[in-house]
Amino acid sequence: MSVKKKFKGLSDKAVGWLFIGPTVLLLLAINIYPLIYAIKMSFTNFYANKIGREPQFVGLKNYIKVLNKEAIWEKMQVTASFMFWTLLLQAIIGLGLALLLNRKFKGNELLTTLIVLPMMLSPAVVGVFWTYLYNPQVGLFNYVVNFFYDLGSFDMIGSSTLAPWAIVIVDTWMWTPFTMLICLAGLRSVPNYLYEAAEVDRASKWQQFIYITLPSVLPFLLLALLFRGIENFKMFDMVVELTSGGPGSATELASINLKREAFEKWKTGYSSAFAVILFVTIFGFGNVYVKVMNKIKER
Amino acid sequence: MILLFVSLFSFSVNSNAKSITLGWAAWDPANALQELTKEFTAETGIEVNFEFVPWPNFADRMLNELNNKGKTFDLLIGDSQWIGAGAVYGHYVKLNDFFDKEGISMSDFSPATVYAYSTWPKGSKNYYALPAMGDALAWAYRKDWFDRPELKSEFKKKHGYDLGVPANWNQLHDMCKFFQGREIDGQKRYGAAINTERGSEGITMGVTAAMYAWGMEYENPNKPYDMEGYFNSPQAVEAVEFYRKLYEDCAPPGHSDAYMVANLDAYKSGQVAFQMNWYAFWPGVSKEDSDGRVSGFFANPKQNVAAATLGGQGISVVKYSDKQDLALEYIKWFARPDVQQKWWDLGGYSCHNDVLNSPSFPTSTVYAQGFLDSMGIVKDFWQEPTFVELMLPMQEAIHDYVVNGKGTAKEALDKIIAEWVEVFEADGKL
Repeated sequence: MSVKKKFKGLSDKAVGWLFIGPTVLLLLAINIYPLIYAIKMSFTNFYANKIGREPQFVGLKNYIKVLNKEAIWEKMQVTASFMFWTLLLQAIIGLGLALLLNRKFKGNELLTTLIVLPMMLSPAVVGVFWTYLYNPQVGLFNYVVNFFYDLGSFDMIGSSTLAPWAIVIVDTWMWTPFTMLICLAGLRSVPNYLYEAAEVDRASKWQQFIYITLPSVLPFLLLALLFRGIENFKMFDMVVELTSGGPGSATELASINLKREAFEKWKTGYSSAFAVILFVTIFGFGNVYVKVMNKIKER
Repeated sequence: MILLFVSLFSFSVNSNAKSITLGWAAWDPANALQELTKEFTAETGIEVNFEFVPWPNFADRMLNELNNKGKTFDLLIGDSQWIGAGAVYGHYVKLNDFFDKEGISMSDFSPATVYAYSTWPKGSKNYYALPAMGDALAWAYRKDWFDRPELKSEFKKKHGYDLGVPANWNQLHDMCKFFQGREIDGQKRYGAAINTERGSEGITMGVTAAMYAWGMEYENPNKPYDMEGYFNSPQAVEAVEFYRKLYEDCAPPGHSDAYMVANLDAYKSGQVAFQMNWYAFWPGVSKEDSDGRVSGFFANPKQNVAAATLGGQGISVVKYSDKQDLALEYIKWFARPDVQQKWWDLGGYSCHNDVLNSPSFPTSTVYAQGFLDSMGIVKDFWQEPTFVELMLPMQEAIHDYVVNGKGTAKEALDKIIAEWVEVFEADGKL
């Protein structure tokens, strides 16, 4: 009774704040505060492992250093290439699988369950077991490839030409089901009468796909690619387990390099600047992407 | 009931008060130490808990713990390269007063191990660890294949000298190549499992085994941190080129990111004729070969000079521990000659002179003489507080050249020097 009385005088707005307050506080504590702290650190020469050494303000030095470092741009190129190929493959295969599973046939549910299994696994575990699948001597992957086309012995992880493809293949294998599921949700939301009307107008299957299916599913596909894009920009665990960023730096993504700079070399100030640059990059791209996506939706 | 509860509670409090935690890498010697430590607990009543971290995460885990002033560990068996950071950043307790009080003399331990595992600045009389586990990079080979008459005669015919322990790296390459792709007992075999790991320290530890043997120095002995012409000397370049040749000609397929366990697996599964690895693994290899017929062991071959990559660790008391007195009690016990002898008997590599100088030591195991030889010629990577910053660029550049085949050896070494200069400048050394 006393609690009721206590809350009786609160306005709707106050009750609203009461509900979202804890979440806002949590977000401030674990997201906003570290972000502001990282921005602050990015203007210093702070090394987290050098105890007793006071960080000094260095202005934009860290940012200039990051942007002028050739190796950083190499890592960004590796990341961009990884993102481009994984998103392209996941879009094409994911949509294809969704179209396939949108049809009614025996075993549809079982097949859907089997296809989504890879995305339920831990990325680190996936990285480890694919190293065995890629083993040139006993790996299943090499065996299957050689079964169809005799390439002889080839090392997916040890070759700088093949290693970037090795990580693209694994990520595509693991996350295409995610794109597929979202596309499938989009396909199932298309009302049947549209197809019935198209049939009456004697539209071909291809025309139905181009003028009904694709426009309906496109916002869903773009949303899936946005999620995958953000995730792959931050990709770390699977690639570390699979290639450790090697051979050399052939698969060293920006996030792997950031981790090495921040928590192995302990260049806290420098790596904070790098992290801020990465954050701004993905935030900027994300915003532009969402605006484009909204325009497509409005059409 | 209440009495029972109180007595149980007091027991648990007591047992907590008399327990310490020791951190080390998860490998064979750690199991031997766990076995040995049972005697310490029996003698003192102090329980020792162990936390063994797999090698790929060992440095990350332990150094993060130290940097965060963590209290998880009371004792730490840390890599030789950490001693600089341990001393400079105050992670390790300085042990001089304790050694003096307890009569523990560093002259009782092998000088190379005291220098490498205990002192900072290097060679000074400031001790931050007790030499715990001597180690160096060495080689094991398939003696049973080497003993086959048909292979022996074929090799001799081809190379003009006997198939056996290689006298230098050129011979090592000849022998590895001889076995590369050869069918033995119906299986395809390969030359050598060498270090190529990219993530932590693997390929650096491997390539330096060649670079030291070619006579590489990190810096000008008269001008510290002056590396130009030393670390990238023609000999160093030749050694790195040679290591790449060894990888290309003799490593088994897929051996592009391999270190301790991968080398051991390749060897144990009969894939390779040679494996490069730490002495720490030889007791395990030897145990599976009781009559000594299958495996032989030898120290790192010389080329221009005799040298070997140093491994091994010292045992230190963590400054942030609340139980430093119990941890020191453990070190006091571990330093005893009788305990050191048991340590060697169980498969640990004692650094105590009483053990190493015993007349029976060289013949006590098939690899004991090699260990003695190696410990006399060891060289280590930078032991600077910034060693991780120094290690990472070397890992990347060497892996890029050796495994990835990118650029030249000289370019790789020049790139490493440029990165190292940056690290030393940031550290105020240059």
